[in-house]
Amino acid sequence: MATSNSGKPDKGLRSTVIGMVAFVVIVGIGFTLISNHSKSVLKLPATVSKADGYGIVFNPTAKPVIDIWEDFQCPVCQRFEAINSTYINQVVAAGKAKVVFHPMSFIGQESVLAANAAACANDQGKFLAYHTLLYQNQSPTENSGKINSNFLTQLGGAGGISGSKFTSCITNLSYQNWTKNIEVDAASKNINSTPTIFVNGKEIDRKTQYMDPVAFQAVLAAGGVK
Amino acid sequence: MKKFQPWLTFIARLILGGTLLAAGLLKIKNPSEAAASVRVYKMLPVALANILGYSLPWLEIGIALLIILGIALKKSALAGGILMAMFIIAIGQAWARGLAINCGCFGNGGVSADGKVHALTYFTEIVRDIGLVALAGFLFRFPQGKFGLDKFATEENHGNK
Repeated sequence: MATSNSGKPDKGLRSTVIGMVAFVVIVGIGFTLISNHSKSVLKLPATVSKADGYGIVFNPTAKPVIDIWEDFQCPVCQRFEAINSTYINQVVAAGKAKVVFHPMSFIGQESVLAANAAACANDQGKFLAYHTLLYQNQSPTENSGKINSNFLTQLGGAGGISGSKFTSCITNLSYQNWTKNIEVDAASKNINSTPTIFVNGKEIDRKTQYMDPVAFQAVLAAGGVK
Repeated sequence: MKKFQPWLTFIARLILGGTLLAAGLLKIKNPSEAAASVRVYKMLPVALANILGYSLPWLEIGIALLIILGIALKKSALAGGILMAMFIIAIGQAWARGLAINCGCFGNGGVSADGKVHALTYFTEIVRDIGLVALAGFLFRFPQGKFGLDKFATEENHGNK
């Protein structure tokens, strides 16, 4: 059997392979850097602005400001939603704070589909209801194939959202670029896990204030939610 | 030793290269998570950490391919060893500073789910990476192995370039 001890030095083969590998690496890095760059021309959902990190905004002129970074496939987000969403929805409905939702998609393609559909629901004025439905129907395994256009459309039906505009928004992935911009913005703000909650631009305490409804309401009150 | 060494080199290439290849492939599908896994170590400014996070999986794949194929093995093993040494430093400083994070070595990076520092995990990760540095060292010392594409690597070793 030929070992590498036998034969002549083969400089040509070596250079060819190094060249091919270098090509793959450089193209890969280039593609990743370009595709993880914020787009300036894109279709935005209703109530979204660049100034708020492309988040979906409720009560834009109210104070204080609560930012919520989440991923619809993230199990901890599901727990957070089950514990605190009733209160958050009350705060939104009563206009007691500006609340900005940043639906991230770092868990994968099904997160992109879910975030896009949530934005479609937002266009119909049904973001919060759809938000809850997405968590209530979360798949126990990530990217399992459960979240697809059919599922997301039917989920809308369960929340009283229908119509061709909503359906085509989901099937056309109308806000795919927007989901990317949310990711890029979160990366620049050093958001490293979901859920992440900011009150007036400062993260609340991960160890004690996320999963305890009393502590969560207390920190919001301390931030100015009356 | 003389008889087995080419086989040991081959196996070392598969382990070190295979680990790097798996680490890279598991991360390229999810660049934003890969970037977050670099940010949480808090060693670099956010913008720089993001660029490294997007690039690192591809570098891992590139170095892994060269090691597995046995191309320019002294240099590619050196690159793999330096990469592993960097990971040891990163994990070590995270442990020393009490950062509650996941390694993110094979994806799944970020803040640890329970917000706690898992000392045992840091320890085993460092031990694993030290083992991989040792393999890189072995490859640097004994680059001639079975099924290596690069016959030139042999000359290089003899010539001690």
